[in-house]
Amino acid sequence: MENMTLIVSDRSLKTGLPDCGDTVLIDLTKQGIRNCMGCFGCWTKTPGRCVIRDDAVRIYPLIARSRRLLYVTRVRYGGYDVPMKTLLERCIPVQQPFIRIVDGETHHVQRTVVPKEAVILAYGTRDAEERALFRRLTARNARNMNFAAWRVVFCDETAVESQLRKELAAWENS
Amino acid sequence: MGELLILNGSPRAPRSHSRRLADLAAGCWKGNTVCRDILGADLNGLCAETGRASHVLLVFPLYADALPVPLLKFLTALEESPPQSRPVVSVLINCGFLEPHQNDVAVEMVRLFCRQNGYPLGSALKIGSGEAILDTPFRFLVSRQVRRLVRSMSRGACRTFSVTMPLTRRQFVSASTAYWLRYGRSRGVTKSQMETMDIEPDGP
Repeated sequence: MENMTLIVSDRSLKTGLPDCGDTVLIDLTKQGIRNCMGCFGCWTKTPGRCVIRDDAVRIYPLIARSRRLLYVTRVRYGGYDVPMKTLLERCIPVQQPFIRIVDGETHHVQRTVVPKEAVILAYGTRDAEERALFRRLTARNARNMNFAAWRVVFCDETAVESQLRKELAAWENS
Repeated sequence: MGELLILNGSPRAPRSHSRRLADLAAGCWKGNTVCRDILGADLNGLCAETGRASHVLLVFPLYADALPVPLLKFLTALEESPPQSRPVVSVLINCGFLEPHQNDVAVEMVRLFCRQNGYPLGSALKIGSGEAILDTPFRFLVSRQVRRLVRSMSRGACRTFSVTMPLTRRQFVSASTAYWLRYGRSRGVTKSQMETMDIEPDGP
């Protein structure tokens, strides 16, 4: 799927998604993903492959291949809550250990990670300060996850599914 | 000088760079010090210990631009089981990039947690240039800043310090490449293997 749209959600969606042929949905509540243990095995032992063989090894290649990526996540202390953060930490096989200079900063070299358009649908924030911090975090992520463009959309927890549908419809019509 | 509880939030706690930094900090504190690894710990027990300390120092690496999961889980547990007494919370963070400012967001996340949950803010030290720095001639720079951090904590100040290797970015790229090549060689892996562009090449 060359134009894959990937949705990774930390909550189960009660209703189905619009029928989009190249859309894949990952429901993190149904995945078994262990914590990264910081062993650097995916860099120095089995490059490009995590040594923990659980559901994460099916997901990070999809993230790398997607052209459009939509994360649905609760925000905690201005960052991703535990389920999404656990997955993101397990995504480092998509990078090499080697460092390059990007926009005047040092960052890891990426393996084959398609430049992508990303939307982060974030819920559960408590105030404007937390939302501002989450925006800063995603701006940093953009450099390390090959986001060519990205947007953060904050919404109330009860409005997640309707907002998700709006975002997907906007992509369909673009 | 009250009791300092040092919490190591590294995902590889017992053999982590953070453990070595925690030991450096513990050596500078003039009162009682207790060091704990968050990974594998009873989080309720750690929450109770947090309430008995006058100061807490969170030591951790930057993971995916933010707090590592063990620390995030601990803060969540602390919010759910708050101790009666709130210690001053300080931060000692390190990242694998040259620029200490890449730690800024993670430090702000801890400070946001403190503001949301009523913990007094302490000081912070942001370390750049990766886990190798303690084994280089630049170790003294880190030791000096850790001493300044701990002094600031003991005075109850809210200051931010940073340190990194005094290298240009190009020099850092070269030094880190040599570091990772040595690491790979020690595991029988070549440069070209480490440079593979394939992700899960044989499928999950």
